[in-house]
Amino acid sequence: MTVEQDCVALDQFPVGMRVLAVDDDQTCLRILESLLHRCQYHVTTTNQAQKALELLRENKNKFDLVISDVDMPDMDGFKLLELVGLEMDLPVIMLSAHSDPKYVMKGVTHGACDYLLKPVRIEELKNIWQHVVRSRFDKNRGSNNGDKKDGSGNNEGVANSDPNNGRANRKRKDQYNEDEDEERDDNDDPSSQKKPRVVWTVELHKKFVAAVNQLGFEKAMPKKILDLMNVEKLTRENVASHLQKFRLYLKRISGNQQAIMANSDLHFLQMSNGLDGFHHRPIPVGSGQFHGGAAAAGMRPFSPNGILGRLNTPSGIGGVRNNLSSPSSGMFLQNPTDLGKFHHVSSLPLNHIDGGNILQGLPMPLEFDQLQTNNNKSIIAGNSMAFPSFPTQQSSLPNNNNHLVLEGHPQASPSAFPGHQINKRLEHWSNAVSSSSSTLPPAQNSNSIIIGHQFDVSPLPHSKPDSLEWNTQNASSSYSIPFFYYDSSQMRQSGNYGPTTDAMLSSNPKEGFIVGQQKLQSGFMGAEAGSLDDIVNSTMKQEQSQGDLSEGDLGYGGFSSLRTCL
Amino acid sequence: MGKCMQGYLDEQFMELEELQDDVNPNFVEEVATLYFKDSARLINSIDQALERGSFDFNRLDNYMHQFKGSSTSIGASKVKTECTMFREYCRMGNAEGCLRTFQQVKKEHATLRKKLEHYFQLARQAGPKETARRSK
Repeated sequence: MTVEQDCVALDQFPVGMRVLAVDDDQTCLRILESLLHRCQYHVTTTNQAQKALELLRENKNKFDLVISDVDMPDMDGFKLLELVGLEMDLPVIMLSAHSDPKYVMKGVTHGACDYLLKPVRIEELKNIWQHVVRSRFDKNRGSNNGDKKDGSGNNEGVANSDPNNGRANRKRKDQYNEDEDEERDDNDDPSSQKKPRVVWTVELHKKFVAAVNQLGFEKAMPKKILDLMNVEKLTRENVASHLQKFRLYLKRISGNQQAIMANSDLHFLQMSNGLDGFHHRPIPVGSGQFHGGAAAAGMRPFSPNGILGRLNTPSGIGGVRNNLSSPSSGMFLQNPTDLGKFHHVSSLPLNHIDGGNILQGLPMPLEFDQLQTNNNKSIIAGNSMAFPSFPTQQSSLPNNNNHLVLEGHPQASPSAFPGHQINKRLEHWSNAVSSSSSTLPPAQNSNSIIIGHQFDVSPLPHSKPDSLEWNTQNASSSYSIPFFYYDSSQMRQSGNYGPTTDAMLSSNPKEGFIVGQQKLQSGFMGAEAGSLDDIVNSTMKQEQSQGDLSEGDLGYGGFSSLRTCL
Repeated sequence: MGKCMQGYLDEQFMELEELQDDVNPNFVEEVATLYFKDSARLINSIDQALERGSFDFNRLDNYMHQFKGSSTSIGASKVKTECTMFREYCRMGNAEGCLRTFQQVKKEHATLRKKLEHYFQLARQAGPKETARRSK
């Protein structure tokens, strides 16, 4: 697979595979190093977890695989595992002298792609390269076809299965498709430009939504979306972040129909502002177009409540009919925890548009609880789960009116997310959702709502600035992506937008999500509560590993296209 | 490993010897040196903790977990056995058992050290490649 070429020893893989070995025990570390050398890998060692993180952060593409001990004095190995998975998406193998199944379980749930017992034998190390290949392969598969792959989904869920290979792949793809990207950008929106920093322009957002739709809300995961989008320099984190925001945004919309109604390009932004509890991190939005708040709100941890709440707003819901070009652009609910919480956004008050069930069945983070059990690696943001078009019947929603009922269960378990931040976010989200989820008043003017804002998302202040390139730039380059695509004709379509609303809206003015266009991509149409759940769950699982949410930052910066599923 | 080492070092040690080659001609000795350095430190910590008399079993268990980990990686079987016992006593909260066992740990540790020193000395005399040979 040419994929391997990207990594390490190009063409010689697994020989030369670059491994980072971490163990505070010098004896064990020395032995491990020697064993790895014997396997012909390229080894870097450190006895401090902190140092390991630095090395990884310094250059994500420098390593293909991380092997780490569990018991370390400066940082818990599981924590390191989570961080690596979230930030760098590299496969991580845990090492421990503890054979206790609960440790193994913990390793798995934190995203380890393997768990080895000490003393490690060389035979075991000889095959570790498979983890690298697998994640690359999955990533490739996902990006190549953009199909939902159950397998890949699972793999991603497998924890850290998306290694940096994904990144490498992405790069490669980007290179291959550079032209394509250019075209796409040009075609869609002359104003969009590829910039070094991710700025979610309308154009980009469109692609994003298209990718999400194509993948299917449930299966839409940042990596896949990224591959589909095929945008140079866009990273998974960018996508994940955006996805999250998008979801939050949707949520927000649903909960704040008034805001939605307010026609404004900044609707998205405004919404984000309105998001409660979403201000975990000021999301620096690049262009000042959107008024902060929105972005921030959006980005923040996806507080299910927030997003769901938004979704509930009839205006948002009704109005947003996404017309995502791709079939499944929906929003993503990626947070596993969020998912649990959001139970059905389904009753989006679709008002008018389609009888009011625009967001029915918004695949809001349903069952956080469920998600939690999925072990999370927070799915948030990583997967852009396209909200499955919500079946009008909101089966999941208790109230079947066309109201979006968001049931957030603010129980995101903190442990689910690396850094627990996500969990918290989810909680917020779910709280927000539940609070706002009251039945959405049927939006009468659905069409009017829609948030057609263009988000100019300049680097969203992602929680992890370093991981997200775009975060570092504020407002510098941003492609504004029309956050909401409102297309009444498609309102009921599948594109489900997850409750990205909040996430998308970056509260930070700098971030500027600018929801320019009035096209609402109603991802949430048709309440398919059931599907939403699935989506959410799947996304969460998948995302978990991807953990885009950088520590604690569910919000994704640069929420480029807020598609309000109205 | 000759008869003198029998019982003191297990297959893991042999694995280490396997790793020794031209590129790493003194690998085993290096690892052993690291081990003794690390373990001396741990032994000290445990000693101090025991002397304090406070018997923080958790802490003691943690130290011992580390100690056992490195002992295992080098193949120090007898030391490992004593470590396991020590941890059992910790879990039971048996202070006296801990003290007693710890003396054993130290004893085995010291014995191993001597034996390995001797072993490496012979190996050096015999020539670097010889030490990679399993049979002595």
